[in-house]
Amino acid sequence: MIDLSRVGAVDQPDGEGRAGGGRCNDRVRFTVGLVGDRLDQVRFGADACVSTTAAAAWLAARAEGGALLAGARIGLAEVLVGAEIAPAGAECALTAVDAFHAALGDAVARGMQTAAVGNRSVVAMSGGVDSAMVLTETVREGRDVVAVTLRLWIDPEAPSPERACCAPSAVRSARDLCHQHGVPHIALDLRDDFRATVVDPFVAGYAAGETPNPCTTCNGAFRFDAIDRIATNLGAAEWRTGHYAQLVEQGDAPLVARGLDEMKDQSYMLALVNPEILTRVRFPLGARRKVDVQSEAKERGLAAANALESQEVCFMGGSALAPFLERQGVVMKPGPIVDEAGIELGEHQGALAYTPGQRRGLGVSRGTEALHVLRVDAPTNTIVVGALRRLGRRSVDLRDVQVRTTVDRIDACFRMRGATVPGRFVVTGGDTAEVQLDRDAFQVAPGQVAVLYDGDCIVAAGTVAG
Amino acid sequence: MACYLRSSQCSIEWDPAVLAPPSTGRVGRGTHLQKQVRRDVGTRRGGALSPLSATIRGVIYLDHAATAPPDDRVVAAMLPHLTERFGNPSEPHTAGRRARADLAAARAEIAMWLGAEAEHVVLTSGGTEADNLAVLGRAQGLSGRMVVSAIEHPAVRRSVDALAGRGWEVVIAPVVPAGTLDLDALEQLVRAGDALVCVMGASNVTGVLQPISEIAVLCAERGVPLHVDQVQAASGSDVDLSLLPGSVTIAIAAHKLGGPRGVGALVGSGIAELAPIVHGGGQEGGLRSGTEDVAGAVALATALRIRQDEHAVAEREQRAILRDALEQRLGLSVAGAMATRLPGHALLLTGFRGDTVVRLLDERGIAVSAGSACASGETAPDATLTAMGIDDDVARGAVRVSLGPTTTADEIDALVAAWHEFEPSLRVAAEAAA
Repeated sequence: MIDLSRVGAVDQPDGEGRAGGGRCNDRVRFTVGLVGDRLDQVRFGADACVSTTAAAAWLAARAEGGALLAGARIGLAEVLVGAEIAPAGAECALTAVDAFHAALGDAVARGMQTAAVGNRSVVAMSGGVDSAMVLTETVREGRDVVAVTLRLWIDPEAPSPERACCAPSAVRSARDLCHQHGVPHIALDLRDDFRATVVDPFVAGYAAGETPNPCTTCNGAFRFDAIDRIATNLGAAEWRTGHYAQLVEQGDAPLVARGLDEMKDQSYMLALVNPEILTRVRFPLGARRKVDVQSEAKERGLAAANALESQEVCFMGGSALAPFLERQGVVMKPGPIVDEAGIELGEHQGALAYTPGQRRGLGVSRGTEALHVLRVDAPTNTIVVGALRRLGRRSVDLRDVQVRTTVDRIDACFRMRGATVPGRFVVTGGDTAEVQLDRDAFQVAPGQVAVLYDGDCIVAAGTVAG
Repeated sequence: MACYLRSSQCSIEWDPAVLAPPSTGRVGRGTHLQKQVRRDVGTRRGGALSPLSATIRGVIYLDHAATAPPDDRVVAAMLPHLTERFGNPSEPHTAGRRARADLAAARAEIAMWLGAEAEHVVLTSGGTEADNLAVLGRAQGLSGRMVVSAIEHPAVRRSVDALAGRGWEVVIAPVVPAGTLDLDALEQLVRAGDALVCVMGASNVTGVLQPISEIAVLCAERGVPLHVDQVQAASGSDVDLSLLPGSVTIAIAAHKLGGPRGVGALVGSGIAELAPIVHGGGQEGGLRSGTEDVAGAVALATALRIRQDEHAVAEREQRAILRDALEQRLGLSVAGAMATRLPGHALLLTGFRGDTVVRLLDERGIAVSAGSACASGETAPDATLTAMGIDDDVARGAVRVSLGPTTTADEIDALVAAWHEFEPSLRVAAEAAA
């Protein structure tokens, strides 16, 4: 029987989730009311086909009265059996499962707390192979695992929005994997926050003629904070991610260090993570090689082993920069390409999509010399080009500097897995500094994050000033 | 058959609590109904109900358009031909000759009830094969043009599509919002020299009846053969082939009339112009090879006879009254309500998803069907409703209720009561999803 006794909505719900609206316009909405960490009331709305409606009704009845984390363990497979839904109805039932989990995730995002559990680990799941490995290994250790996936904003008009690690399908595959291992899965819909904290500054940076680095901002100011807060709320003393980076103990808080696999090293994008958070984070893959992780994942039959690698800028969903920026409201106007003497060499279709050092797509020449973008001047919509050697810089001013430990000699890195240049680190103000390099650094662009290493450890980082 | 005779072994187990007789609270409240409708329409003349009928009585079966429950009399008429009168009609010995005589008698009776000549009856494996023969048998080795209505059953539509894939020109004739063929458009579309016009007698979706006589005249004036898929229509309307001008074929199926599955016929003068699509021993005048199903032919003849008797004709009127009362009490929109429809056939536009309503009624012991089936996560609205200009979202709420000779006023009361029981919850659910 389809149990219609839980139709409707909870007044002033502690969590709310929706799904549907696709080709057949079926829609499901769940609302939950909590007492502590228990689902005191689960109500559903459904304007949907029988499989979806049956799944929603069954989920509400099954989950009500239990712990939220027990509800977070209920996956599609269990719903199909419990609600007696034929395989042909699986895709429909999934709409109900999505809405249900969205409501649980919302309740967690709103700050639901559970008592501390001694051996609890939260695993941050992206849906990719690395986090899948972390999950299975943490389960093998016998720890009490709760998985968390962040659903982040992706440009809906991008050519392949599903290729991002935080796409809906990635969230589903992470959830499926967790449920196969009996692990509760929480998906947090942080699309709005992500857009405000990461995407908008990224767009604004380009609009101002800079070259922002969204991954460092995301991890440093958004993602780690969000997961850490959730982990603490869920009573976990530690949490884990699949980043290829290591932690080196020093003083009160560990330092982020390069991963063992230098081809996969992700320490750069973790440079701005709050040191206090690092005391609770573990990087189980930091001392592993990606190829080993992949072959082991394949051996273990982890479906994610074959998943596509995510994009460098996930929210662009495979889009080129210029059309992405235009979709976000950045006006691209044709303007002059000039050399350093101010002589016009040609026309560009919008200066803001160009980055210092860039050579491709300029379409201008001066004799036989290869021309690179030297500067983007946003106010005059002008690109200044010149020889590569003109990009070379011995001194780089930094703003928004964060110092983890004070050292004199550093190796400066200006992009993910970029070559490093040795030099000196000189603090010039409260949060400003100067990097004096031993030799020329090329392709240093305003807005980029300079990450300063002492050996393999990150000791400071800051944004390249204009 | 074990399923019927030994219900404990039946793979589908009905919950007795669910299937308790409908609450009598509502029965009798519609007093005018009680006066008009005989409460005994479900009891056949001539004796006790068979185990088949007993099973039917356990469920309120309002899906006669999908298939009608087997009529005891049809089953009884068939049985000797499945046992002692088993001979092959092609054989010269006594058993064969007896079977041949039985077959001839059955064929003659089928022809008689449809106003056709006996030699214009081709027995088939059902309505789908009859439709295929009418379309593909007309088109063998040729290329040309056919006109088909926009609301044909897939048995016709897919056959025509197959021809389109071979280079035939296929023209779709539209319907008006009421669900009947747009005759003005049809006049423009049908041209002398067309190979065939296909129009279904009544829509299996809406039950809307088509003006077959007018269409037959229109076709005959242009010398174009007409095929009528009468499979659904035969349950509640008559066609007299002797009154239709021109070259006509009709397809019928026994299982919509209280007979078994696997038996149908293509009937009418148009038969003479067809080529076979099933080849073999040359039975059925060479048009449909395969050892004849004598029991099936007898079943079809018996089913046609039963639906012609005086009692059956009166019953149809009762069915229409019950249907009208149902529609009035539910107060829902009804597709094709402005047209003449099969008695007992209602396509309710419920405002919810059709298959959800079907399931909730089923759980309350009432069998109806959804106008659209959900496949692979997509509920495609029924093509017939789309052709009538009904909005997709509305069409997804279609639920077909089809009454039969055994339907009683109590059963209609039960349906209305069940609907009023869950409809408020469903409404709350739909509103909460918004």
